[in-house]
Amino acid sequence: MSKYFTNIYDTVSTLWTGMQITWRHMMNIKRDNVTLQYPEERWPRPERNIGFEHVDYNVIRSRLHVDIDDCIGCKKCERACPVNCIKIDTIKAPNRGEDIPEIKHTGITSNDTSKAMVVSRFTIDMSECCYCNLCTYPCPEDCIFMVGGPNNEKHNIDYEFSEFDRNDLIYQFSKSITPEQKEALQPPKKPEVKA
Amino acid sequence: MGIVHGDQMILNIGPQHPSTHGVLRLEVKTDGEIVSEVKPYLGYLHRCFEKHCENVTYEQVVPYTDRCDYLAAMNSNFGYVVAMEELMEIKVPERVDYIRVIMGELNRVASHLLALGVYGLDVGAFTPFLYMLRDRERILDMFEYTCGARLLYNYMWVGGVSHDLPKDFVQICLDFLDYFEPQISEYNELLTYNKIFIERTADVGVLPADVAVSFGVTGPNLRGSGVKWDVRKDEPYSIYDRFDFDVPTGTGEFGTVGDCFDRYWVRMLEVKESVKILRQALKDIPDGDVHQAIPKKIRPPKGSVYRRTESPRGDLGYYIVSDGTPVATRLKMRSPAFTALSVLDEISRGWMISDVIAILGSLDIVLGEIDR
Amino acid sequence: MTVDLLIDWLNTIGDFPVLAFILAVVISGIPLFLVMALNAMVAVYVERKVSAFMMDRIGPMGQGPGLHAGKWGLLQTVADAVKLLVKEDTVPESSDKVLFKMAPFIIFIGAFMGLAAVPFSQTLQVVDFNVGVFYIIAVGSIGVIGIVMAGWASNNKWSLYGAMRSAAQIISYEIPAGLSIIIPIMMAGTMNLQELIHFQSGSVWGILPNWIIFNNPFSFIAFFIFFISAIAETNRTPFDIPEAESELVAGWMTEYSGFRWAIFFLSEYANMLIVSGLAVAGFLGGWQSPIPGLFDSGAWGLFWFMGKVASLIFIMMWFRWTFPRLRVDQLMHVCWKVFIPIAMLNIFGVGIWKLIFG
Repeated sequence: MSKYFTNIYDTVSTLWTGMQITWRHMMNIKRDNVTLQYPEERWPRPERNIGFEHVDYNVIRSRLHVDIDDCIGCKKCERACPVNCIKIDTIKAPNRGEDIPEIKHTGITSNDTSKAMVVSRFTIDMSECCYCNLCTYPCPEDCIFMVGGPNNEKHNIDYEFSEFDRNDLIYQFSKSITPEQKEALQPPKKPEVKA
Repeated sequence: MGIVHGDQMILNIGPQHPSTHGVLRLEVKTDGEIVSEVKPYLGYLHRCFEKHCENVTYEQVVPYTDRCDYLAAMNSNFGYVVAMEELMEIKVPERVDYIRVIMGELNRVASHLLALGVYGLDVGAFTPFLYMLRDRERILDMFEYTCGARLLYNYMWVGGVSHDLPKDFVQICLDFLDYFEPQISEYNELLTYNKIFIERTADVGVLPADVAVSFGVTGPNLRGSGVKWDVRKDEPYSIYDRFDFDVPTGTGEFGTVGDCFDRYWVRMLEVKESVKILRQALKDIPDGDVHQAIPKKIRPPKGSVYRRTESPRGDLGYYIVSDGTPVATRLKMRSPAFTALSVLDEISRGWMISDVIAILGSLDIVLGEIDR
Repeated sequence: MTVDLLIDWLNTIGDFPVLAFILAVVISGIPLFLVMALNAMVAVYVERKVSAFMMDRIGPMGQGPGLHAGKWGLLQTVADAVKLLVKEDTVPESSDKVLFKMAPFIIFIGAFMGLAAVPFSQTLQVVDFNVGVFYIIAVGSIGVIGIVMAGWASNNKWSLYGAMRSAAQIISYEIPAGLSIIIPIMMAGTMNLQELIHFQSGSVWGILPNWIIFNNPFSFIAFFIFFISAIAETNRTPFDIPEAESELVAGWMTEYSGFRWAIFFLSEYANMLIVSGLAVAGFLGGWQSPIPGLFDSGAWGLFWFMGKVASLIFIMMWFRWTFPRLRVDQLMHVCWKVFIPIAMLNIFGVGIWKLIFG
């Protein structure tokens, strides 16, 4: 019998304790509020003060961007990608390190590397990207990077990208190049030798 | 499912259901409210993790491990890199070990907070869930500050970590711990000691120790049954042998040893133990270069390794077979949530539908890890 | 402003008794419906805000005067209502279509009929029965039929579970609620709500108002039993097992959408208003002022009544966002093994109290 009444007492007292807590939170909502009203307010984005100073390292992971003028077409990022969302096609440049004005190809990167390849296709499918950041580390020219954060001077942060069509999420970074121009860049085919 | 008698009914819980913790289908045979058989159906989230790992290089496996146990991705990474380092016989710098322990324990806290909060949600209490997610959010903020990602980090690499800690990370983390510790008692007052919660969980879904062991249940579920087994203590990896912490076990405080309340309570106590480890690690963390030991090309020698680590859900084991190429011949992941789910049928027979939900919640499964 | 007065007044204009009756019912029915709709709108808004504040959130903020200007989301429920009205009305292929379509209206009728007898103020009451208390308790059970119908007709296992749980729950909890509301009836000696409220005028010991809840210890306990049983009757947490979202998806409402679901929603909040109104009339002095003799007349009556009802509804929300949910058998345990014995003892105690002091 006494257990019956202790049970009732326990129930009432523990429930009352819980109610006091929610009451306190309701009264202190001005202090405790954690909601961020997203389009009007945003979190401060992490800055570059991560202690480890190295140009290759990006702390923020929002969207991949490629400075195509610096790309030498080495395909290291393509190989590093675990989900194969980077696709690169290259054509051997006629003369190493020379500009090709018709297709706006620059011969020398900002690190003074002369390019041996013309990048005819550089697409990143951001709907497949898993934001692992693995592609940014092997790049010898630091031309592929996550936008924003430490790379803010190169490209502004952009994490609000949504499209109605899935194909619009495939970002094309290479210069536009027509099939005829592509054909012209190809080395002349050797005449087939009959066996 | 076998024969269904005239007064029995088959009920499909899931794959679209609010509390199956992912996409899980439970085929439940019921007589009114009483459940006589529970049969879980898996595979709705199967992404061929193990097959993928046989096709990508060793560094590229790390992002895939993130996606297995997505609630404790740091611990998933941790297990893989520890196994790889054992295979390649790499000695990582001390600072890396400390960073890994800090990250692993922070993620354990985050994962347990979600488990506890969602458990409250399963038995109908909404508010504790949001309080716990609010605090989990601060941990995720710290991760974002460190490595730029909030959920799937790809932070731990074979031989090191991807970024060093930010300069003021230790202070930020200590501030968080100072804020967080009083919150635990608030959760307890609001949810744990609530009489309705105790009634719903105590004595429900009792998992006896021998059944737990024979099913291979590990982690907090096993400790809830009173078995003192923790890989961090019993088979220490990384630098866990340096820290002083307890392994909480279920005591049957309000019911029987091994009931839902014990599994819940063990998690709550483990959060406290993690805080203890974090304080010690933050105090002792040495300086150093975290990229020192990262090999240029990961090409492990021929051979195989099995290494288990303590993820928030239990023994997380990686079995890696290498043939000397940069791609693994076989990579097997032993998932703790899988064994925890297999015991569901055993312990939920004879209970009500509401209890099946409560038992499933107390096992704290992550479907990403079960289906892999 | 009872419907009888209205009929009398219409009869003075001309001799058309049937038409006068219909006209009077319509005239008094429309404001009642407006009260119901307004109550649901305000209550939903308040509920969202209260729950948000308890969870350290701020709740809806977008839809306000000047869209997206962040005026506390004042128009959120209007937007919700518009959304529900224009939503597609889906009827499952294999459902029992007649019952499926009928169920929301039966639940609505139950709530509407109950609201007709709620004494909003001295004069504002649609029907002033001599058995008002009994009537409200009685029509409160009509909703169960609708719920069971909805659950059966949906041809969905979740709905069926929800409906069966709901039927068991509501029928069980009517007993402690009924046994507790007997206490005001015993003390006042009437079932008429207005007379019951008039009985509670004046003050006891000079300070406290002479409400039945303060009259003796038994009625004090009876109020809590009645109130908690009333929460169970309206299917709200911690007794929301018929629609337990983590177990039964949405219980008996699983297959409903759009306007039909909106009617369920409307009825739920109307039921909250009715049971709180009955608790206020029976135990908390109805439209009487909490300070005896002060602000005690006219429109103040409406103010006090609605104020008391609003605070009871707030307590219901407070419960909902604090507690976990009970299990079915525990629910029955609380009802049959705790509430009913105590309610029985209460009746006995009040009888003795009345013999000695009354």
